[in-house]
Amino acid sequence: MKDSDLKALTGLCAKCGTCRTVCTLYPERKAEIAVARGKVALIEAALSGEDGNAEAMQEALTDCLLCGRCERACPNQVLVEEIVMKGRADLAEKVGIPAWKSVLFGRVMKSPGAAGIARKAAAAGQRLLPGKISTASGLHYRFPDGLGGKRRTVPKLPARGFIESLGKEEASFGEVMLFVGCVFDHVFPRVGRTAYETVKASGKSVAVFRDAACCGLPAMVSGDRRSAASSAEANLRRLRAAEPGSIVFPCGSCLLMFRRNVFSLIPKGTPLYDDAVFVADRAVDYASFLLSSGVLDRLPDPPEGERAGEIGYHDPCHLTGTLGKGPEAREVLSRAVGPEFAEMAGADLCCGYGGTFNVRDYPTSARIGENKVTVAARGGTKVISTACSGCVLQMRDMAARTDPSLRVVHIAELVHQALFRK
Amino acid sequence: MNPEALSALGDLFGDRLRTSLEARICYSFDATGKKFLPDAVVYPVNAEEVRRTVVLANRHRFPVVPRGAGSGFSGGSLPVHGGVVLSTERMDRIVAVDGENLYAVVEPGVVTGTLKEEVRKKGLFYPPDPASLKFSTLGGNIAECSGGMCAVKYGVTRDYVLGLEAVLGTGELVRTGVATAKGVVGYDLTRMLVGSEGTLGIVTRATLRLIPLPESAATLLALFDGNRRSAEAVNAIVAARVTPSAMELMDRTAIDCVQALMPVALPEGTGSALLLEVDGPEGQVEREADLLTEVCRAHGAIEVRRASDAHGRDDLWKLRRSISPALRRLAPVKLNEDIVVPRNRLSDMFDFLSDLAARKRVAIVNFGHAGDGNIHVNIMISGTDADETRRAHEAVEETFRKAVEVGGTISGEHGVGISKAPFLEMEVGPLGVAVMKRLKGCFDPNGILNPGKIFLDEAAVRG
Repeated sequence: MKDSDLKALTGLCAKCGTCRTVCTLYPERKAEIAVARGKVALIEAALSGEDGNAEAMQEALTDCLLCGRCERACPNQVLVEEIVMKGRADLAEKVGIPAWKSVLFGRVMKSPGAAGIARKAAAAGQRLLPGKISTASGLHYRFPDGLGGKRRTVPKLPARGFIESLGKEEASFGEVMLFVGCVFDHVFPRVGRTAYETVKASGKSVAVFRDAACCGLPAMVSGDRRSAASSAEANLRRLRAAEPGSIVFPCGSCLLMFRRNVFSLIPKGTPLYDDAVFVADRAVDYASFLLSSGVLDRLPDPPEGERAGEIGYHDPCHLTGTLGKGPEAREVLSRAVGPEFAEMAGADLCCGYGGTFNVRDYPTSARIGENKVTVAARGGTKVISTACSGCVLQMRDMAARTDPSLRVVHIAELVHQALFRK
Repeated sequence: MNPEALSALGDLFGDRLRTSLEARICYSFDATGKKFLPDAVVYPVNAEEVRRTVVLANRHRFPVVPRGAGSGFSGGSLPVHGGVVLSTERMDRIVAVDGENLYAVVEPGVVTGTLKEEVRKKGLFYPPDPASLKFSTLGGNIAECSGGMCAVKYGVTRDYVLGLEAVLGTGELVRTGVATAKGVVGYDLTRMLVGSEGTLGIVTRATLRLIPLPESAATLLALFDGNRRSAEAVNAIVAARVTPSAMELMDRTAIDCVQALMPVALPEGTGSALLLEVDGPEGQVEREADLLTEVCRAHGAIEVRRASDAHGRDDLWKLRRSISPALRRLAPVKLNEDIVVPRNRLSDMFDFLSDLAARKRVAIVNFGHAGDGNIHVNIMISGTDADETRRAHEAVEETFRKAVEVGGTISGEHGVGISKAPFLEMEVGPLGVAVMKRLKGCFDPNGILNPGKIFLDEAAVRG
């Protein structure tokens, strides 16, 4: 994107203040710099030659969950996410990716503090082993200091990831492609497994996309456009070559990457752009695929609910908000668990994960997340289901902090239980 | 600002004093599109911190500019002479809601919509409803004496301010008014402060009048071929002795601006629309809604639609509230005026405005509170064509002259700020200006509070 494009994007902002009403971060910060209007003003100032401090600017632009609420509420539809990501990318080129986001393995580390971080990570029991997890994996952005850092509660990395657990020839070809994503492959392989088996239950042949380095979203939101673009390019070429009929995403954020974000990484009119269109046309969220596949029609009637209303659904910002796929997940749940599903209190509150925001400012992320799960639990929800990897990571952690009896699952786990109930 | 002053503020506010360029840029704007960089931003959390800020300002002679949500249209919160922007964002507690005596006590940073929602839960009603109510603050509303959609029936902010606590320009904390239904002891300092645009005092707490929440409401959208007919319908409604809680007019261009956000099907020939609401006891609302429909039809409405449920009502209101920011889609610069004329001169005013647009070759979009005779006249320009800009400013001046000439005012609810300062005297006359300046001297002898506003000021005009 050229500066003039950015100017056109920011120029639509009327500074009316609507973004203040929906911003997830504003109640935490109570300062204009947190909201879209402030960030747009900063970028406008930079574009008009105001010579600020690049690091302070970077700080301001990274202090955002990219939940997209401002963009959806904006009377002028200012593309805030696009603007913020573009600003982050420009700054990353100028001052480097912030130390706390520097990739640990396989990539050049520019910041002087990086060696220290690497050492700390090595000391932590749960470092991400370079041999085991692809160097391009988004997990490195999400856990620069290892999974156990900052007193997070996360499960121990399982011995084997989901894809690793597949047989050599298993799920290599099929009309449906499953894009598992880093987290559901490595951290919660059970989600990868249940998604795979439930999609396979549709009767269609299913291939699991094995070459996925990473969807590229964590790199993109970190301002690392080059890594994001190279992930995107590799994925798009291979996905196109496999010629799947549809590509199913258990994770809403991975889906967003292919449905929207890749288009700002790839120049129009190139063959790769055509590949991106091909992929976007076939990319579908897990719930929508299940509904269209007919597999749910084979479900036995859900059991009479003794636990009526105990299962809720959490709306991932990107999946429900940006992509509008909230009703589909609810429909799937209603059919899989019947009256055990009920609308959850605060279903559309952001979980506070925000991709790499959680790493950047864990205390704030945790306050937003604890509030999220507490509101849900007070409303009577005992199981929070959702369909995004970041949300699962965050809410499991938050549940452990506030109410260990609260379960957090992916909807695929519930569908699996219903389909294969004995 | 001198380093000594900044260090004193640092002692007072710690990390709630911000001086980085980035932090200051974020407090350099409001909804006017103009920008003035402050030297610092502070976030007080109580009246004492506000008071001590103003005391420091008197000692070191720096301006203090109070700011709520920065959503004003006249530049009220712009730091035209630099100094300190005092943000009330962190003074945002609703201190009390008294359902027996029907009042609420709030800090200035409470968002208007938040108070409305909070008292609604108790069956109470805080009527003022500026289009910005979801983000604008009560402190800002009081400073500007904000109006809104329901002013035609319920009045404006000043009608709901019973008493105030405020820090004057001297750094003294004054309490004005009452927490009772009546009170006539001495001069009405409360009304003096309401609408004073932060130039006389900084409100640190307000006692606001509440009324019982109306039982029900009905919302209608009546479509006409043009503004003249809409205006005639408004007068016919008043003549029919109905007082709707809102009579909002939108011209065709205004509606088209929000079409991208929320499509509205319009029959052919639609040139203007009235958004009408009646509230009260259920039976009465039904009767009045029917009557409004009848009156509109009799006065040439092409179509009258009635929202069938709360959801439909919200949609109609969202349409109306989105117009102002959405005008940005038409042109980058909006000269946004809010004249008021006697209701029975509305038609003449609309004729004058369409003639003016043609004569000055500028696009003029009109919408607003037709029931109050309050028209938001928006002159849309590129901002890059000097001749067009000159013609637009001529159009503004002619509009103001016309408004005053027919017995109206140049601003119904946005305030003077910097954008109307050049025309203050046109309406209130030289003596009016002189008396106002004398009063300013009583409240703020050193000119600390929000300098460059209301009265003509070269620095402000340049911005």
